[in-house]
Amino acid sequence: MGDLTLLFILFAPFVGAIALIFVSNRQTMLVRGIAAGSAFVSLLASLYLFYAYDPVKGGFQFIQKFEWSRQLGISLHLGVDGIGTPLVLASSILLFAGIFVSWHIKDRLKEFYIWILILAAATIGVFMSLDLFFLFFFYEMSVIPMYLLLGMWGSHTKTYNEMTDPEGLKLRDSVGFIFNFGSNSKEYAAMKLVLFLSAFAVAALMGILLIYKYAGLNTFDILVLREQAKLMNIPVLGTTLDKIIWILIFFGFASIAPLWPLHSWSPVGHAAAPAATSMLHAGVLMKLGHFSIIRVAFEILPETTRELMPIAAVLCMFSIVYGGFVAFYAKDTKYVIGYSSSSHMGYVFLGMAALDYISLTGAVMYMFAHAMATGMLFAMAGWVYDQTHTRDIPSLGGLSNRMPFISGCFVVGCMASIGVPGTVNFIAEVMIIVGSWNKYPLQVIVAVVGIVLTLAYLFKMMRGLFYGPMDQKYSHAHDAVSLPDRLPLLIMITVSIGFFFFPMHLYDVVRSGVDPLIAKITRVVPVASQDREMLSVKREAQTSGVPNRPQDVSDNASRDTLHASRGKE
Amino acid sequence: MTFSFTMSPSDLLLLLPEILLTVWLCLILIVDFSFPRLPNEQLAYFSIAGLVATLGCLVWFDVAGITGTLFANMFALDRMALFFKMFIVGSTILVILVSVDYMHRFKFFRGEYYFLVVMSALGMMFMASANDLLSVFVALEFSTLGFYVLVAYLREDMGSNEAGIKFFILGIFAAALLAYGISLVYGETGKLVFSDMKTAQASPGLAIGFLLIFAALGFKIGSVPFHSWIPDTYHGSPTPVTAFISIAPKGAAFAILLRMFLVSLATFRPIWTLLLVAASILSMTYGNIVAIAQKNMKRLLAYSGIAQIGNVLIGLATGTKMGSDAMLFYLLTYLFANLGAFAIVIAVSEAIGSEEIDDYSGLGRRSPFLAFSMLIFLLSLAGVPPLAGFIGKLYIFVAAIKEGLYVLITVGLINIVISMYYYLIVVKKMYISEPLDRSPLKVSGPLKVVVYVCLAGTLAIGIYPQPVTDWVVSAIMMFSDVADPTAALPVPPAVIPFGG
Repeated sequence: MGDLTLLFILFAPFVGAIALIFVSNRQTMLVRGIAAGSAFVSLLASLYLFYAYDPVKGGFQFIQKFEWSRQLGISLHLGVDGIGTPLVLASSILLFAGIFVSWHIKDRLKEFYIWILILAAATIGVFMSLDLFFLFFFYEMSVIPMYLLLGMWGSHTKTYNEMTDPEGLKLRDSVGFIFNFGSNSKEYAAMKLVLFLSAFAVAALMGILLIYKYAGLNTFDILVLREQAKLMNIPVLGTTLDKIIWILIFFGFASIAPLWPLHSWSPVGHAAAPAATSMLHAGVLMKLGHFSIIRVAFEILPETTRELMPIAAVLCMFSIVYGGFVAFYAKDTKYVIGYSSSSHMGYVFLGMAALDYISLTGAVMYMFAHAMATGMLFAMAGWVYDQTHTRDIPSLGGLSNRMPFISGCFVVGCMASIGVPGTVNFIAEVMIIVGSWNKYPLQVIVAVVGIVLTLAYLFKMMRGLFYGPMDQKYSHAHDAVSLPDRLPLLIMITVSIGFFFFPMHLYDVVRSGVDPLIAKITRVVPVASQDREMLSVKREAQTSGVPNRPQDVSDNASRDTLHASRGKE
Repeated sequence: MTFSFTMSPSDLLLLLPEILLTVWLCLILIVDFSFPRLPNEQLAYFSIAGLVATLGCLVWFDVAGITGTLFANMFALDRMALFFKMFIVGSTILVILVSVDYMHRFKFFRGEYYFLVVMSALGMMFMASANDLLSVFVALEFSTLGFYVLVAYLREDMGSNEAGIKFFILGIFAAALLAYGISLVYGETGKLVFSDMKTAQASPGLAIGFLLIFAALGFKIGSVPFHSWIPDTYHGSPTPVTAFISIAPKGAAFAILLRMFLVSLATFRPIWTLLLVAASILSMTYGNIVAIAQKNMKRLLAYSGIAQIGNVLIGLATGTKMGSDAMLFYLLTYLFANLGAFAIVIAVSEAIGSEEIDDYSGLGRRSPFLAFSMLIFLLSLAGVPPLAGFIGKLYIFVAAIKEGLYVLITVGLINIVISMYYYLIVVKKMYISEPLDRSPLKVSGPLKVVVYVCLAGTLAIGIYPQPVTDWVVSAIMMFSDVADPTAALPVPPAVIPFGG
């Protein structure tokens, strides 16, 4: 079967989780060691994957295929392309970092690591699935660990504990209480997250089942379906089938992204979750949405995507602005970062909606970059919460004296999140903006406003947490000193800055995944000259047998604009 | 029709599992009477020995491909019958294992308990083979007879007595419907064997007759609108009996439903698809919505069972081979998850003496093993990957979408989300709520065995279902050799295009 890298990345966390079952909670170091060890194996393998992925060859690489169910036409078909590879890397970096961020959990540490390993492995599984069934399988599998992680190790806001229900009872567990008053409770957050995601996941499942039925190929294999499925122009219910499927798939998966009207579970979930879970949640779980849309809707229904993707372009504006404003007024550290994440995910949708080589490449790079940036911010918000037991920004302040390392890193995290040059987020943001300018100038203006908003709320939060007068009750708070505490932040900062100075491999890898996709989506209507170029490149590639990586004018031009804008700022 | 009851030794061989179990049944009684001081566990293990021997015999038949019919087609031993017999015997073994610790609650007739359980199992084995309306009636009543007693086995408990009365009255009502339906069908067609009725012409009498039979079987499986006995009976009965009644009779009744719909009524598929779609939608929706409000674990599982049966009915409503495969598969996943869940209900109620959901608070701290297993079983019932229930649901949905039952699938998918809510409420109690009492719980050996078996089944089928799918596909394949349901069809158009 050739290269087993993918299996190592996917199954190392599972093996770690199973091994942890047999360890006692009292052997703290052993528990930590197993969790960190299995995450490390996964990290090493995905680093190898990232650098061994051949962008010149492009396409799906490291393919593994095992038959799983003949009757249903399912096989465990794994493989990564240029879009999946960086996301796999991001997942395993965040998993590794998350293990260290939760190093000091006292309550049921073993169970915590088990669930977080399963969560990370499931998200990694989505990024490498080439089978619709397994894509959904891993997608759905990532939801339940979130419930337990939020519920068991999450936190309430302060006011929640004093709330009572109409009869004046503190019925923290009654169903009615959770629905009426518990919007700040972790139970509410966890249940809302699961029900919301499941409800939309079954919509996506319906779409997948419709693809399965109407393709009539008795297979869930994406590679087969994208070549052979003929789903266009089947009239159904006054419209065509492909549109129905596309809507089901798009909104089914966009809920986890989270796109604007479907976002409400996300900040609540972020706020309640423990730090490592928030990191994975914002860092990679949300990207499952974009990724699944790209993998399913873009691959299998390219023409419908071209037709209907403007929906995303409209909704992403609301995402960006709404998320930004709520984050500006929020008083809870985690709400701020949570809403900022859902605002930033609007950029990714913008990049996807423009259906342009540069913008989609930028969108995928932004997913990677955002994973690092938001991972840092959540890790530090978690540290501050652990030290002060509050997430209320107005009551905090002046912590930079107590924790110079954390406040220093926080500045870097803010920079990364804003997209200041020096972090890979900058490159990604500029690519999204440049790439979608031709098609959606209004949205690009909104996105730039969004960047200003990001700057405003993150600096406001930074000032609120680390500068100004400090309340004396926080004088016992201390800095991250030991290596396990500093390591996760250092890793994420290194990655974020490193890829700014050496972005070419990342760019090449992503581009190799984006090119065939955009070529396929834009193929039919030749609008711009770019298209003709693309076609000629494709033809050339087919005749010469060279993989279709266009070294054409638009590519070089985009790099020029990149350099130009870099200079400007 | 001439009945020839001359039996050759090879005919007797086909009856070997039943004969073996009948002999064992008598032995259980004899042992119980002859050794009054015999510890109760010993008698349980003695019964299990007989059941295991029967199971071995069934496995041997299945592997060796020993099939055939007896008594002028009244008794069919095809691979589907073998599947259901293994299903029934397997669940009976597990039920007896979970009963061992429960036994101290019975003040009287402890030995007869095993006798009655095994007797019901024997009746259900005949149900699985019943290929004729008369044998359906006899076998069904034979098995229900045992249940009437078992449900009311806690003699001093009002709830159990109430459950018994309720079950008995509704049960004999269903029996009357069944008898009336059979007489109508016989009057219209002059036939009793399922496969002989394939050529029957549509007539009001026939329709009413089959509707009545469906009502009686619907009572057995507990689908809406024939479900009203389920919550109280499940709640009041001794918990091992609840576990038994929630699984084994369903399997046996589905065997009959499969034969009835796919063989004798194959030509009327467009009509009965509507009937089954309606029953399925009602069962799923009613079961799941009412389950949300439950405070008692057994009642919650009762309503969730109604909803699960709605899911199985989706498979039957497709009326295809794939749908039937999916039904068998689903029933198997349901067996492991439901029996496992009931085993934990028993374990918890033995330890803390309560079956209320509130008393599951903090189970995750008091007994991580029980809580984790319960989590797995409930999630499997909800249909979360990588557990068996997810594959079962997907299998059924795939079968249904191939027949274009879109409305049914949509309702089924929405119901998954609804059911997620109440299963997660239990998970919340177990893991998130703090325990009132932190003392750890003790779990007895036999219960642990059952939980391990169910865990292994739930996880193994979920992670690699291929062996089981192969098995169910071949089970139905042999059945379709007896009477090919698809061949008889006049190729109906897409049954319900976005409507039914």
